[in-house]
Amino acid sequence: MLPRAWSSPERKRRLRVTHEGVLLLLLALEIGVFSELGTNFLSTANAFEIVRFSVEIGLLAVAMTPVIVTGGIDLSAGSLLGLSAVLFGKMWRDGGLPTSAAALCTVGIGAMAGGVNALLITRLRIAPLIVTLGSFSLFRGLAEGLTGGVDNFTGFPENFLFLGQGYLLGGIPAQTPLFVAAAAGIWLLLHWTTIGRGLYALGLSPDGARHAGIPVDRRVGLVYVLSGAFAAVAAVIYVARLGQAKADAGTGYELMAITAVVLGGTSIFGGRGHVLGTLLGLFAIAVLQNGLRLADLPAELAGILVGLLLLGALSANQLLSVMGVNKS
Amino acid sequence: MSGRYQREWSVAVAYGVLLGTLAIAAPAFYTGDKVRTILVGSAPVLVAAVGMTAVIVTRQIDISIGSQFSICGVAAGLLAQAGVPMPVVMLGSLLLGAGLGAVNGVLVAGLGLPSIVVTLATMVTLREGLRWYQQGEFVRNLPPSFQWFGLGQSAGQWLIIAAALGIWLVGTWGLRYVAGGRAFYAVGSDLEAARLVGIRPRRIVFAVFLLMGVLTGLAALLHATRFADVDPNAGLGLELQVIAAVVVGGTAISGGRGTLAGTLIGVALLATIGPALVFLGTEAHWEKAIQGTIILVAVAADTFPGKRRRHAPTSLVKP
Amino acid sequence: MVSVKPDQGAGRVSTLLKLTAITKSFAGVQALKEVSFDLRAGEVHALVGENGAGKSTLIKIIAGAHAADAGSLWIQDRLVERNDPQIARTLGIAVIYQQPALFPDLTVAENIALGLEPGGLWRNIRWRHRRRRAAELLARIGAHIDPDAEAGSLSMPEQQLVEIARALGADARILIMDEPTAALAAREVDHLFRVIGELRAQGVGIIYISHRLEELYQIADRVTVLRDGKTVVSCPLADVDRAALIRWMVGREIATVFPKQTVAFGPVVLETRNLGCRVNGIRGVSFSVRAGEILGLAGLVGAGRTELAQVLFGLHPADAGEIRMGGKAVVIDRPARAVELGIAYVPEDRRRHGVILNMSVASNATLAILRKIGSLGFLDYGRERAVARAFVDRLSIKIPSLDSPAGALSGGNQQKLALARWLATEPAVLILDEPTQGIDIGAKAEIHGLMSALAAKGLAILMISSELPEILGMSDRILVMRNGTIADILPRATATQEKILSLALGPPTEEAVPA
Repeated sequence: MLPRAWSSPERKRRLRVTHEGVLLLLLALEIGVFSELGTNFLSTANAFEIVRFSVEIGLLAVAMTPVIVTGGIDLSAGSLLGLSAVLFGKMWRDGGLPTSAAALCTVGIGAMAGGVNALLITRLRIAPLIVTLGSFSLFRGLAEGLTGGVDNFTGFPENFLFLGQGYLLGGIPAQTPLFVAAAAGIWLLLHWTTIGRGLYALGLSPDGARHAGIPVDRRVGLVYVLSGAFAAVAAVIYVARLGQAKADAGTGYELMAITAVVLGGTSIFGGRGHVLGTLLGLFAIAVLQNGLRLADLPAELAGILVGLLLLGALSANQLLSVMGVNKS
Repeated sequence: MSGRYQREWSVAVAYGVLLGTLAIAAPAFYTGDKVRTILVGSAPVLVAAVGMTAVIVTRQIDISIGSQFSICGVAAGLLAQAGVPMPVVMLGSLLLGAGLGAVNGVLVAGLGLPSIVVTLATMVTLREGLRWYQQGEFVRNLPPSFQWFGLGQSAGQWLIIAAALGIWLVGTWGLRYVAGGRAFYAVGSDLEAARLVGIRPRRIVFAVFLLMGVLTGLAALLHATRFADVDPNAGLGLELQVIAAVVVGGTAISGGRGTLAGTLIGVALLATIGPALVFLGTEAHWEKAIQGTIILVAVAADTFPGKRRRHAPTSLVKP
Repeated sequence: MVSVKPDQGAGRVSTLLKLTAITKSFAGVQALKEVSFDLRAGEVHALVGENGAGKSTLIKIIAGAHAADAGSLWIQDRLVERNDPQIARTLGIAVIYQQPALFPDLTVAENIALGLEPGGLWRNIRWRHRRRRAAELLARIGAHIDPDAEAGSLSMPEQQLVEIARALGADARILIMDEPTAALAAREVDHLFRVIGELRAQGVGIIYISHRLEELYQIADRVTVLRDGKTVVSCPLADVDRAALIRWMVGREIATVFPKQTVAFGPVVLETRNLGCRVNGIRGVSFSVRAGEILGLAGLVGAGRTELAQVLFGLHPADAGEIRMGGKAVVIDRPARAVELGIAYVPEDRRRHGVILNMSVASNATLAILRKIGSLGFLDYGRERAVARAFVDRLSIKIPSLDSPAGALSGGNQQKLALARWLATEPAVLILDEPTQGIDIGAKAEIHGLMSALAAKGLAILMISSELPEILGMSDRILVMRNGTIADILPRATATQEKILSLALGPPTEEAVPA
């Protein structure tokens, strides 16, 4: 019993255009509404500010996309961000490392932490939801433990803070190229490589993929390691942007990332999804938050609207698919 | 049948070891009212975990209970503040919980949307909605009939503990000896097969979310009545705490299997860890790390016996 | 073989079920057109037809899973106005589908009880009563199964018996069995036929769907043939011979089902010496296969044939003995390695392992050769489609388009797609696990033809099959497995069904007794 009569996951042009098209319309609507209601909304400076604030969650979201495409989930990404931030701070302040070295080490540790998730999922065959629920607690717990719950790393050098607070040519926030490169990398991986094709197959049917000779465990490992590495990169940018590293960094970020991914049209069951959708979902949320702020409306409204938006997107998709099957 | 309940036994043994260690290394743990405090504190978690066990057994999940919990607590406080008699306050909390649960139920059972995303959405919406309404303000100036149900601390504590255990007993009986309880297991084990024997999966799924809501409302009461004012952030992180306890207790995320005995031990174990660590000399801020480790160790120690033939996850909404 | 037909003597013959002029369409496609059918008490009425002929739809209408667009259903001369699974059950209808509809996490007792117990969701459950009733029902059909066992831990034959017990408990008068022997080996089939014999002696009417025409002659009284949604013929089985049945089913003459060519064998391509795998239960397996040869693997379900294939393909690596390809010892620790070495495996479970239902035909076809359709790790969509198109043409796979999901194809075409996927890897050894299971006669013949052609081109083929005629018809040599090891290897010329069976069963003292 097929839930939908789609063609290959990445090439179902018709629906993808529809879903991403709707998101584009939504974005256009938001931009239209807020340029009326908000002060200084419609300006390149503001657009860049939106980008600046979206980078960290955005990194988590683009890395979360392949994870969800494989039918998994990573609830530990936000906690890992916090742990990475704390470790980064510690390496710099107490370890005496220059920020660049500390940053590289942090990314390495993030990848390894992702590897721990991967090991538990592939070797011990525990559901990703449960493993990352445990590591969600563990990573945050380690961050709290290492800082005694209170320690706060500050006083980073100017040239480091530039990464999070500075501007490049034309007013582009310094973290933007990194984000663009990261998103492009995941886009290439998912939609243009043989590895990516394997990920979709794996998401649709792990057994089927295994029988086709696809190294399932290695692929699953890859996406969680990437998720970990990206969380660490996001942590470094977070610290640069805020100028401080505390144990509570990134709280709730993983849920925002998952929201962006699902809003973008990726199926939580795996096997379908597109990076472009994730980015559109991400910016739909970011623009909403920014616009509400500039329109002097309560910040909570953003959360409420995002929740409703998510439900609306899912319901619409579901109704379309149910109708689609009847048609064929 | 110890093979079937391997996890429950292991966790029970682990808990026993913990208690034993405390008895030997830090017997001060058992003095005074520390144990009672832990029991009272974990009563709401237990009540919520009873509901969550049914939810996960039905192969669903509900990550919105934290927000539901906060809302019900605040609503109870506001009602009491407005002079509503306590029994009505209690009913109000339960009904509100039922209503919120019903929303989840309609979306999951009615529209066939995946529960993790639905409850993610309702969690965010409810949390932000509450934050907007309360602005983080505690609900104060509550009548004396609110705290401890007006019974005073000692009696109130025992009432709370008894209520939680009572719910647990009813739940245990219901999941085993009432057809509706078995229907949760059937739907969670194989939705298509359930349909074929005349169970209506959509009703069962709706019912389980409704039940979860009611129990969350009750849990909120058992928590809020411990204090003289209501914290609007009381439910923060509750869902993950409860899910962790249920999973550690042996309920499978894939549905169809799980016991409330295991859930009870899971709740107890995770609730005892924190205070136990303090007594054993560890610093309190490692509590979360250790809880996370316990969760991972508990689920890692499981060995899934053999392959199961089952239909692929099917939609509740037949095309 | 056990013959279980009672006297065809005179006696009251009451009609249990009658369908008249049943018509049903799905989204514009007509599945059934004015089909009539009837079932008498105490008879086994075979329902045959190619895949897509309408058998499943007819069954689902009887079982209440679908509602007919037109026509009527009569149970015991009473018109059934409305039908659904619940109502069907109260009418005494029970269906045993090909995929067991048991709850894997629940006990046998609960599985049997669910659906049998009247009352709503608030009724009280009495476990002792459940266990007792389950034990009684299982005893009635001679099944030694523990009522407290988890249904998911039972073997397929055992699960089937539980389903029959459940049907018995529901006082089913009309039992529908859809491909009941598909997963059974000979001895289990005999047991099943004995059970069926007892049921019919009690006046139960059985609708029996099967592609195994030989079995029908053992067990069925009448036969109805469906083709393209219409009743083609309905008569006593004694009145038609096998060839006539096939003719009715496909509406045309079918060339011999086993087109075996004589092929000159090449050198030994694959050889194993004392191969073992503890996890899979294989031990001491030694054999070789040459280019151009078709080696048939026969044996009971669970004898180790699929397990051997899994070891050769790297799904469960060997821990004893050695494998040699082209004379050189190799280690196969994962499927990718097997593919590199030139081994291809078309699995038994077509829908879960053979193809990925929700992926397109093109993606499925190229899934095993991703590296070849990519350059530097990047996908070449153009090359993918070209390769897919080439194989679709070569194997005559009927598809709506290259982008249609594999799930939209018929069983036979899905199997060809699975085959295409592996032929694309240009293997030296092709392992086929039940290649024609559940496939209609026409497609079966095509696949056999393909196999012969591939062998003629020098491919070495290992064919696992539970259909003895297929084994005898297609194999050059027959490797009979028993209890995880090889019982014997028979040459084509002297092999017979009896010899194979007796090797598969083994000497009487060695038999394991499941039921």
